[in-house]
Order: sequence, then structure tokens, then C-alpha cells
Amino acid sequence: MHYTFDIEEGNFTNAGQASGNIKKTLKQLNVNPASIKRIVVALYEAEINAVAHAYGGKIDVDIDSDKITMVVADRGPGIPNIDLAMTEGYSTASKEVREMGFGAGMGLPNIKSNTDQLDIQTQLGVGTTITMTVFF
Amino acid sequence: MDDTNNFFYHALTVDHDICTGCTHCMKACPTEAIRIRNGKSVIDKNKCIDCGECFKACSYHAIYIKQDDFDLMDQYKYKVALVPATFIGQFAGDVSTSQIYACLKQIGFSHIYEIEHGVSFLINLYKKYMAEHKDINTFISPYCPAVVRLIQTRFPSLVKNIIHMKVPLDITSLMIREYLSKEGICSEDVGVFYVSPCAAKIAAVKSPVGEDSSAIAGVINMDFLYNKVQHLLSKKTQGESEPIANHSLSGKDILWELTGGESVNFDNSSFAIDGMKNVIEFLEKIEDGDIEVNGLVEMRVCDQSCVGGILCPNNRFLAKQKLEIRAQEIKQHIENNDYQEEELFSEEEFDKKIAPMMNIPTITPRSSFKLHDNLQIALKMVENIKNIESKLPGIDCSACGAPTCSALAEDIIKEEATIDNCLFSHLPPEKYDELLKKIWGKNIKPL
Ligand SMILES: Nc1ncnc2c1ncn2[C@@H]1O[C@H](COP(=O)(O)OP(=O)(O)OP(=O)(O)O)[C@@H](O)[C@H]1O
Ligand code: SF4
Ligand SMILES: [Mg+2]
Repeated sequence: MHYTFDIEEGNFTNAGQASGNIKKTLKQLNVNPASIKRIVVALYEAEINAVAHAYGGKIDVDIDSDKITMVVADRGPGIPNIDLAMTEGYSTASKEVREMGFGAGMGLPNIKSNTDQLDIQTQLGVGTTITMTVFF
Repeated sequence: MDDTNNFFYHALTVDHDICTGCTHCMKACPTEAIRIRNGKSVIDKNKCIDCGECFKACSYHAIYIKQDDFDLMDQYKYKVALVPATFIGQFAGDVSTSQIYACLKQIGFSHIYEIEHGVSFLINLYKKYMAEHKDINTFISPYCPAVVRLIQTRFPSLVKNIIHMKVPLDITSLMIREYLSKEGICSEDVGVFYVSPCAAKIAAVKSPVGEDSSAIAGVINMDFLYNKVQHLLSKKTQGESEPIANHSLSGKDILWELTGGESVNFDNSSFAIDGMKNVIEFLEKIEDGDIEVNGLVEMRVCDQSCVGGILCPNNRFLAKQKLEIRAQEIKQHIENNDYQEEELFSEEEFDKKIAPMMNIPTITPRSSFKLHDNLQIALKMVENIKNIESKLPGIDCSACGAPTCSALAEDIIKEEATIDNCLFSHLPPEKYDELLKKIWGKNIKPL
């Protein structure tokens, strides 16, 4: 089962549509609530990052009988130091983004703790692709 | 245990003689419980939460709320009217509470109690419950039965967040029964009649969550009783207005049914949410872990809470104002010490006799989303739904008898409808393009 969603740069109000949509499907599949919550949190954080720190992008979701795989690929600018970005509290969020309640530097650490597999590929000036897997 | 086949009791009923199948109710239903079949609106008992949105949306008054036969009262020697404070709020500002009570006596009630009597006891019980459940942060009030059913069917993962305790109605009816038996009245002779502002409460009384029976002998719709009282008031035939006895209500207690009237008793981090859309939005956020409340979330599906109940004849803002003025007056009386207080129960008596009966052992989650218990099969079904949906125009016109195109797709794979239900599937492709693009523009999907 495959889903795709577009991510628009800077559109914070629309972000969350993908995770909302996926949540409904997972409820239809009767996936256990704890896994659903982890999936929704991880996907939402990755989506917001592509909105806040990149120039938008695309989400690909695959649901199988035992797991979900979510690929969030954005269009630049890439992450210069992934280890640093993964640190709790590290954030380069702009003042505007902070005023909207984001920028605590907790997104990537949250993604890490809510997924079973996490892979981040990034290329400066090209973009970042985050692949997240959660087993039901 | 899978008990998805045990239906909830429902108070909302469609009169098929009046229903025109217009789709208004179907589009208003927040749980997509309604379909149009053979020109009539049909409610899915497993999805309906008795919130009354359909009742409000129906322009033909084809949806009605069943109530018990009023003559049921005659079977009891002592007829107790259990009225919510909201009832008093239905009458014009210059009609006093004692006038309303006098009319109720004339109608045949031997005792009249307001439901909010039990509130002060209940607050303590809820606080104790919250302190005992350290594994939960966000507690959802069990007060509005439509909210409880909404959570059971749409947010099953949040069932554990509901405070598993009874509500003022249950507590007060138990207290009254105990109190009257203390006065030497045999409990078989007592019939407690509940005056309801909404369908959800009727349904809750008829099939209480997590239990088999309720201590209520019958339910009277608020608008029905309002008319009877109003009739007596207009004829000015009500007896001498008598002072209100049996009062242990504080001003704060009678505001319980208004938005914020419950949460105000808990600490600052508590919330009060009213209105169906707001409730759903907030539940989504709690479910996603977006919001964590270290306290109580009061939730009522009606705008302005129970004064906005579908059986309340008065404008909800006027009713709210009347209750607020009355609360002020009571507060003043208490301060001036010219208020007759008669406690139904002392705290010790309550703890001994009533408190042990206040827990609700289980509230069963009954997801209305779940397509199948087997994930493989459910996955196949989701895939089929998605396929069918991609072939539908996506304009949610409802002419097919389903509220949205995706609801029709789901109905089709459950074999409750066919693609033929979609009128557009009958148009030749050239016509489809020509006709629909004129109206919906380029965004229309090709069939
Ligand atoms: N998709 C991305 N493209 C470019 N940089 C990113 C991307 N995602 C994260 N970053 C960088 O990593 C930092 C940390 O990200 P993280 O999601 O942990 O925190 P945040 O987004 O700044 O704040 P929060 O997620 O708590 O609102 C960001 O501030 C940003 O510099
Ligand atoms: S808010 Fe009050 S009147 Fe409305 S459905 Fe809930 S309990 Fe009934
Ligand atoms: Mg982030």
C-alpha cells in the first residue's frame, strides 16, 4: 500500500495533513494505538522539518502487514552536521519559526526514539532524505 | 471479548414518513453514521453517538427523540423529578425557581431535586481518582455521554484517559433513593424521572456505559416538560409558590452544566472544550501526543455545553445568563446566611453508602474505523478502497447516498453499495468532461 504527499515550503498550517491521513488508515487497519502514536509523531516531525528548514519536498509512505516505511525527501539545503542536528536542544530555527512554537531542537531526537529504523541521507545544496521504519 | 454486535441504545430516530432523503443530516453527522437508502435516512447503530447533530441539521423535523410514556409515573407512589439546573434556565428571567417547582408539583411530582446536588462529592472522588492513576496525565471527564461514545468509537486509544466514574445524574439519583429510604419510604414506591436536555443522556440512562442498569425509572424530554410548565405559568394556575426546600446547592454547583463549570473545580492546567468540532480537534491532539494536560479536560459536544442541548427550547445564551444570575443570587443568600440548607448526605454517610458504587469497571473501546481483525485482509481492503476512491470524482456531492466519495468507496468494498450509486459513473466520458469541467474546472478527476 503506497501513499505520496507533497510538502510545501513554509506552509506550517498544512503540515500534519500527511500524518493525519496515515493515522486514519492505520486505525482502519486496527494497528495498535502505541505504534500509531509513534508513527504519527515521527512523520509529523519530519514533515515539519522539511517545511521549516528546507524548501518543501515529498513524502512516500509504504504500509505492509508488519511495518510502515516513511520516506521524507526535501529539496535542500541539506544538513551540514548530522550528529550535531541529532543532539537534543540543537536548533538553527529562525526567530519566526520559534515564534510559531517550533525550534526546541527536539524533532530529530523524537524521530529517533519513535522509530525502529532511521536513516538520514543528506547532500549540501541538494537535499535531505529521511527514511523511517516502524514495526507494528 | 468482541462485542461490536451489541448495539448501543439510541434515542435518535428517523421518521421515515417525513424524511425526504435530502442528505442534510448525513452531511452533518460527525461519525459518518448516516446513509440514504431508498430515499430515506438510515442511521448505523454502531457508529451513532447520539450527539444530535443530525437533529439540528434536519429542516423537516423528521428526526425525533423517543421518550418514555409520561403515564409511567402513575406506577409509583412517590414521583421524583430529577431536573438539571439547565431546566430552570429555560424560563424567562422573571420566572422564579419556586414558581417552576410549584408547577412541577402540580403536574404530579412529589419530590423535586436538581441533579447538581451530588457535584461537590463527585469533585472529591474525581480528584482522588486522578491522584490514584499516576500513569495517566490527561484525564477526560465522563460527563458528556456523546463524548464518551465518540472516544469509544473514534479514539479507542483514549478510553483509558476517561475518568472511570459515574456522573452527577447517577450520584444524585442514588443519593435521593438512599435519602428517601432513610425517611422511611419504601424504595419500590419511588420512581425517579430524569428530565433530559439531549439524546445522548437518554441513551446513557438506557444503556449506561459499562453496566447493565440505571437507577432511573424513566426519562422525560426537557422540551416536553417545559411545555407543560409553561402552560401552567401562562394560565397562572400554579399553586402558591413555596420556598425551595432540600437545597444544598451552591452557586458554583448549578454552573456545572455550563462550559467551564466543571473544569473550574480542578487545577489551573485543566481545560474546558465545547462544540463537536472543537472536541474532535482536541481529541486528535491528545491522541497524537501534541497536547498533554496535567489535569482534567472537560468536554461537551454542544456549543455552550448543556444549555445548547437539542431538547432545550430556550436560546442557549439566554439560558446561560439566567443560570449565572441565579448562581450569583444563591451565593449572595449563602453569604447573608438567609439560605435554607438541607444536606441530603453528610460526607461520612456519602463515603460509606454512595462512594463505593461510583466506579465504572470498564468502558469498552469499539473502533468504528476497524475494517477487519486480520491485518492482511484489512490491508487488502484499504488498497481496494483507495483504488475505488481514485475513480470517483472527489467532490463529495452525496448523491450516491454516502456523505463523501471515500465513504462510498468504503461502502462498496463492504458490499453495502456499488459503483452504480455514483451518478457520474453513468455519464459517457465525453459528457463527463464537458459537464463537470464547466462546474468544477480542471480539478475534476477523470472517471
Ligand atoms: N530537513 C532538514 N533540512 C535542513 N536542516 C534540517 C532539516 N531537519 C533538521 N535540520 C537541522 O537540524 C536541526 C535540528 O532539528 P530538530 O528537528 O531536532 O529541531 P528543530 O526543528 O530545530 O526544532 P523542533 O523540531 O524541536 O521544533 C534544525 O534546527 C536544522 O538546523
Ligand atoms: S453537552 Fe450536555 S446536552 Fe450536549 S450532548 Fe453533552 S451532555 Fe448532552
Ligand atoms: Mg524539527
